[in-house]
Amino acid sequence: MSFNWDLVMNSFPLLLTGAVVTVQITALSVALGVIIGLFVGVARICHVAPLRILAAVYVDFLRGTPLLVQIFLIYFALPVITGQRVDPFFAAIASCGINSGAYVAEIFRAGIQSIDAGQMEAGRSLGMTWMQTMRYIIVPQAFKRVIPPLGNEFIALLKDSSLVSVIGFEELTRRGQLIIARTYGSLEIWISVAIIYLAMTLTISRFVAYLERRYKVDDRH
Amino acid sequence: MIDIKGLHKAFGKNEVLKGIDLHIAEKEVVVIIGPSGSGKSTLLRCMNYLEEPTAGDISVDGIHLNSESNINKVREEVGMVFQRFNLFPHMTVLENIALAPVKVRHVSRTEALETANSLLDRVGLADKAQAYPEQLSGGQQQRVAIARALAMKPKVMLFDEPTSALDPEMVNEVLDVMKALAKEGMTMVVVTHEMGFAREVGDRLLFVDEGRIIEQGEPKAVFEDPQEERTKSFLSKVL
Repeated sequence: MSFNWDLVMNSFPLLLTGAVVTVQITALSVALGVIIGLFVGVARICHVAPLRILAAVYVDFLRGTPLLVQIFLIYFALPVITGQRVDPFFAAIASCGINSGAYVAEIFRAGIQSIDAGQMEAGRSLGMTWMQTMRYIIVPQAFKRVIPPLGNEFIALLKDSSLVSVIGFEELTRRGQLIIARTYGSLEIWISVAIIYLAMTLTISRFVAYLERRYKVDDRH
Repeated sequence: MIDIKGLHKAFGKNEVLKGIDLHIAEKEVVVIIGPSGSGKSTLLRCMNYLEEPTAGDISVDGIHLNSESNINKVREEVGMVFQRFNLFPHMTVLENIALAPVKVRHVSRTEALETANSLLDRVGLADKAQAYPEQLSGGQQQRVAIARALAMKPKVMLFDEPTSALDPEMVNEVLDVMKALAKEGMTMVVVTHEMGFAREVGDRLLFVDEGRIIEQGEPKAVFEDPQEERTKSFLSKVL
C-alpha cells in the first residue's frame, strides 16, 4: 500500500471549495432550522389545540423518516406535483433546514419547559399576554439553557449535509466522490474529507463551549 | 373592589374551594390565614385568574373575569407578590420593574425607568438598580418584587405568603414595606402566617379551612375570642 501525498496536496484546494459549500448549506439550514424550531417549539406548548397538534405532527413526521428520504421527497417527488424542477441548492437547504427544525423545536420545547412556572405566572400577573411573557421572559432564559444541545444539533446537521451529495449537489462529500472517480485515490481522498469534516465540527464545538462560558458569566454578573 | 360569588375550584377530583362568597372593599386590608392545604392560596390566585375557577363569579373593580381580554385588563390593575419572588433573573432590578409598564401600559421607557427608580427608593433599594436579582438577599428580592407590582399602579395588591421563603431576620423589612403600603390606602389581600402583621395591619381577618371561610372579623376580635372550634384549635397551635 502506498499513500499518495501529492494527490492529497493537489486535491486539497478543490476539497476546500467543497467545504465552503458545506458550511454555506449548514449555516443557511441552521438559520432556517432555528426559526422553524422556535415557532414549532412554542406551538408545541401553546394553548391553541390545533397549533399544538400541527406542531406535534411536524416533529413526528420529520424525526420519524430518514433525512435521505426527505431529500428525495423534495428533489424528486415535489416536481411531480408542481411540474417544476427543484433547484438542488434550494432542495439541500430546504430539506436540511426543515428536518433540523423538528429537532430544534424539541430542544426549545424542553428548554422552555425547564424554566420555572413562576416566571410565566409573574409575567401574566403583570398583565402581559402569554406571547409577551414568552418573548420577553421565558424564551430569553431558555435560549441560554439550550446552547449546548443546540450546538450538538448544529454539528449533527453539518455532518448530515453530506447526504445532499446524492442529488448531485457539490458539497464536500460530492467533491470527494468526483475526485476519486477521476483519480481512484479512495484512501487519500476519504481521509482528507474526514479530516476536513473533523476540523469543521471541532471548530463548532469550541465555539459553542465559548458561548456557554460567556452566557454563564452573564447570568451571574 | 373585589366581588366573589359561589367560588368553587377543584383540581381533578380534589375539591379545594367549596363555595366562597367574599366582598373586599376599596382600601380594605384583608388577611387570610389557615392551615396548609386549606385553599387560602388558591383563593388568592383565583382573584387574578392564575387559577381558573371551576364555578362561580369573580369581578374586580367592576370587571368580570370571564374573557381573555377581561382577564388581562384585571391583571393590569391587580399586583401580585409571590412566595418565591419570581423576579426575572436575566434582567437588572430596574429592568424587572420597568418591563411591564412599557409593554403593557405603553409608557415611554424614560418614564418607566424614572418610576422604577423612585419605587426602588421607596422600598429602600435605590442603590440596587443595576444589580441582578441573584445578587440580592431574599428580603431585598421580595421588596423588588413589590416595587415591580407597584410599577403598574395597581388598584389592588395580592400577597401570597410573601415572607414564608425568607430567613427570619429579613421578614420585617418586607412587612415594613407592606405596612407602609397599607397606610397609604392600598387595597390589599394577604395570605400569611405572620399573625403579628395580621393583628396590626389587617382590617379584617379571614380564617379559611377545607375550602371554606370558617370565620371572619376584626383581627383582634378573632384572635382574642374565636367563635368556631376549628379557629380555636388552629390559633392555639400558631399563637
